[in-house]
Amino acid sequence: MREIRSPSHVLLASILPLQFDLPFPFRRNPNSFKINTRFHLLRSILPPSSYRSIRSRCGAQSMAAGAAASATHVHDLPEPILAQVFSLVEDVRTRNAMALACRRWRGLERSTRTALALRGHVRLPFLLPTCFPSVAHLDLSFLSPWGHHPFLSSHQQQQHHHDFPDDHAALVAARLAQAFPSVSSLSVYARDPSVIAALAPLWPKLRSARLVRWHQRPPNLPHGADLAPLLEACPALSALDLSQFYCWTEDVPPALHQYPLTAASLTRLDLLCPASNEGYRSSELAVITAACRNLTHLLLPCVFNPRCIEFVGDDDLLALASACPCLSLLHLVDPATLSPARIDSDANEDAAITGSGLEGLFTRLPHLEDLALDLCHNVRDTGPALEALGNKCSKVKSLKLGHFHGVCHGLWQHLDGVSVNGHLESLSIKSSPDLTDSSLATIARGCQRLSRLEIHKCHKVTAAGIKKLASKLRSTLVDVAISGCQLLNATSALRALEPIRDRIERLHIDCIWASSELDQLPVEEEESDPEEDDMEAPDHSRSKRCRYAQANDVESFESASFWFRTWERLRRLSLWIPAGEVLTPLGDAGLECCPQLEDICIKVEGDCRLCPKPRPIVFGLSFLSRYPTLRKMKLDCGEAIGYALTAPAGHMDLSLWERFYLHGIGGLIGLYELDYWPPQDREVNQRSLSLPAVGLLQMCSSLRKLFIHGTAHEHFMRFFLDIPVLRDVQLREDYYPAPENDMSTEMRVDSCSRFESALNDRRIPD
Amino acid sequence: MGIVEAAHNVRVIGREGERGTIVLAHGFGTDQSVWKHLVPHLVEDYRVVLFDNMGAGTTNPDYFDFDRYATLEGYALDLLAILEELRIGPCILVGHSVSAVIGAIASISRPDLFTKIVMLSASPRYLNEADYFGGFEQEDLDQLFDAMRSNFKAWVSGFAPLAVGGDMDSVAVQEFSRTLFNIRPDIALSVAQTIFQSDLRSILGYVSVPCHILQSSKDLAVPVVVSEYLHQNLGGESIVEVMSSEGHLPQLSSPDIVIPVLLRHIRYDIAV
Repeated sequence: MREIRSPSHVLLASILPLQFDLPFPFRRNPNSFKINTRFHLLRSILPPSSYRSIRSRCGAQSMAAGAAASATHVHDLPEPILAQVFSLVEDVRTRNAMALACRRWRGLERSTRTALALRGHVRLPFLLPTCFPSVAHLDLSFLSPWGHHPFLSSHQQQQHHHDFPDDHAALVAARLAQAFPSVSSLSVYARDPSVIAALAPLWPKLRSARLVRWHQRPPNLPHGADLAPLLEACPALSALDLSQFYCWTEDVPPALHQYPLTAASLTRLDLLCPASNEGYRSSELAVITAACRNLTHLLLPCVFNPRCIEFVGDDDLLALASACPCLSLLHLVDPATLSPARIDSDANEDAAITGSGLEGLFTRLPHLEDLALDLCHNVRDTGPALEALGNKCSKVKSLKLGHFHGVCHGLWQHLDGVSVNGHLESLSIKSSPDLTDSSLATIARGCQRLSRLEIHKCHKVTAAGIKKLASKLRSTLVDVAISGCQLLNATSALRALEPIRDRIERLHIDCIWASSELDQLPVEEEESDPEEDDMEAPDHSRSKRCRYAQANDVESFESASFWFRTWERLRRLSLWIPAGEVLTPLGDAGLECCPQLEDICIKVEGDCRLCPKPRPIVFGLSFLSRYPTLRKMKLDCGEAIGYALTAPAGHMDLSLWERFYLHGIGGLIGLYELDYWPPQDREVNQRSLSLPAVGLLQMCSSLRKLFIHGTAHEHFMRFFLDIPVLRDVQLREDYYPAPENDMSTEMRVDSCSRFESALNDRRIPD
Repeated sequence: MGIVEAAHNVRVIGREGERGTIVLAHGFGTDQSVWKHLVPHLVEDYRVVLFDNMGAGTTNPDYFDFDRYATLEGYALDLLAILEELRIGPCILVGHSVSAVIGAIASISRPDLFTKIVMLSASPRYLNEADYFGGFEQEDLDQLFDAMRSNFKAWVSGFAPLAVGGDMDSVAVQEFSRTLFNIRPDIALSVAQTIFQSDLRSILGYVSVPCHILQSSKDLAVPVVVSEYLHQNLGGESIVEVMSSEGHLPQLSSPDIVIPVLLRHIRYDIAV
């Protein structure tokens, strides 16, 4: 992709001025092409700022030029240039709209399409679309029914009445190769090695591969058997993404060791799979790095626990750095941090990683740009090492540190620790027990390009520190995530972000409501102080703050209405909320008005079995209807745990909890895309959609895409057919272990196919 | 694969050993996946037949014939049809909830097909009467039917139903409705009426196949005395075991307790 794009940008720069002067001759066939689409077209091509200026200019221009028809037409552009323009449009719906404009455009669109995600169920190999000859990125991981490859692996289908013999699989594979000859990047759901064995030989020049598997690894396979066919057939592979592929840690090293040529050509290796809770041991790490010497991107989970055998320590980091000196992106994390649930690891033990070891690592990796060391064990006195990082690796832009002590002391006026890294654009500090407000102030002074900041479980940070940082980084900071900090509840976090309220674009907070936490009262006092603070005030001592605290206690109540203010540029909001809590206090906390908010992500976590029946019987999704541009929502109740089938007396079972959470979702009028994770019952590994959930989802009349990350009964799915514009529905059991087809899923292949044909048989209103 | 097999999602797994065939029949509101904890223990020694009752979430709703399934005999005929189609000789039937009773009905007409029936949370009659305690009062049921009817109306008028059992007063009804509401509303209404109208006490005496009656100590839909009643009134041999589990779906909610008991009753016959 890179290789194609960069020259075309140069080319585009030469043709764009020409194009702007064109009075957009799509007017010749106005019925076939919506006016807005051309702006979409431009939006996808241009950087946002120039797009806006063009749009405003063109608005006036097209009205003025309406009468005086111009002789110049977009079709007067030479074919190669037009093709080049087409190839820069990325948005799929825009492309589809363009293809509908006229035959020539359709031909152009088809021939320039580079990425295609196939959906549906290939029953007949000759129905595969052959009109996309230049597709380079082929995504087969979302084929329906999700998680199956009925046309490739025949043995799963023996139970069903439409048996696919092996030669049929070979035929489909051959058809795929014929239809998409130039694939260089492939994503595929590989439930067993036969899928890769059938596909990989089709495209021997494959550069990038992404395997997906949430089902259990077939237990009787030899180690590495999943990867061997791929590594064998595609010696030019440079990127291997296993971040959604469940396998054992014993699988990867032998496979890489066995195919040294392919391993040596790998530059990107991503092994961060949240499904696996095991990390790579030091010997496995050594095998991987020895095999893949040219890696520039390496992401993998490691055993940092010093109590385990073969844990990863200083020496292993140094060995890694010596083996792969070109690394620019290195993510080494504790496997526990990958789990979707929050972990309560207040580890008292130290990892075998020390400051001096880190210094050695940084010295040997001069090209480092993106570093994540997310541990669950303490790393002490990292200040000097992080200063060394600033000196040795001047290109570091992104940094993520977990359980690091002494990240930045901020005691004196000089910069120390992480704040020395002046080029830092993204900083994430997790579970750093000695990160204080003054550390944040120092970081704000040192890292003046910081645009993204994440703080997780830093219990000494208060609203005052965040506020000071936000006001200093007002010009750059657009993405903030604050979670798990004891001294910051939702209200105080939002107040602390007041200085960048009109600039921030992405925000994550925890919905810990002040009233529910009595032990947070002292915080309330403290946080009212920064309001009086002068934004540019120099650091001042804690004692001064305490003096303010008493005086301003009353004022914080008065200012409640004062906080109904606009978050002008906020586009993405992410919320974490404990099970049983409601959403409605969000308005009082300060997020009353977000005119640009498009995307919201809500994660519910906790044990519903321990919650009393909630008093207000609705979670409050209807509250979100005050955000006028909300189009996408992710509602993740996957980590909410309850009783699926038999709840003891006095408890609510999951169907009632689903009703609690989804109530009012029909009021979100503009909702276009919904990802929903039903709550689960761990005991039976059940995440199934219940009747009330279906009923409530059915009321979202504007929904076009619906992805359920769980299972559902067929007749429940049929309720969705009442949503008039619904086009794209899929059940994705993308959690580990995905229910095996044979016994436990409610939605079987046949019912899934029946539902999809019913969905596709409907008339499409637009 | 025949129509009957396809319609019921019949699956035959495990090896055909000398220990015979086991048919696992699920109760209402669930499907064959309720047996997922049990099946791995059986596949080594037995041929295991799994199927979905008509009306379960995984079957094609178009196949549900409201007349045929107005009585439990309809389901019993289905069961016999499956056994016929697969040409299964004498088998062990493990039936949960209503399916246990369906098995008992089927065994009256074809006792040769069953070597024994393992009944899990079964009840011949749910309503209380002067000399019988079934666990449900008529008022409870009226409330349940009302909820189902409003649900059904909502469904007919184009809105998916929202009522769920947890809102009802009677805890026993809550327990039962939890599973009933998993079925499509029109089917659920029909099924609920079928279940609560059924009274199989009069035919229990004709059951000649040995029955193993397994029961949760705390099942709100089926009181413990019901299992004693079954034991007293079944025509053939029977044995009762009350397990320390809770709920109407103990094989799912507490498999650790239930699976060993089930296996014991499957492997060993009643000692004379």
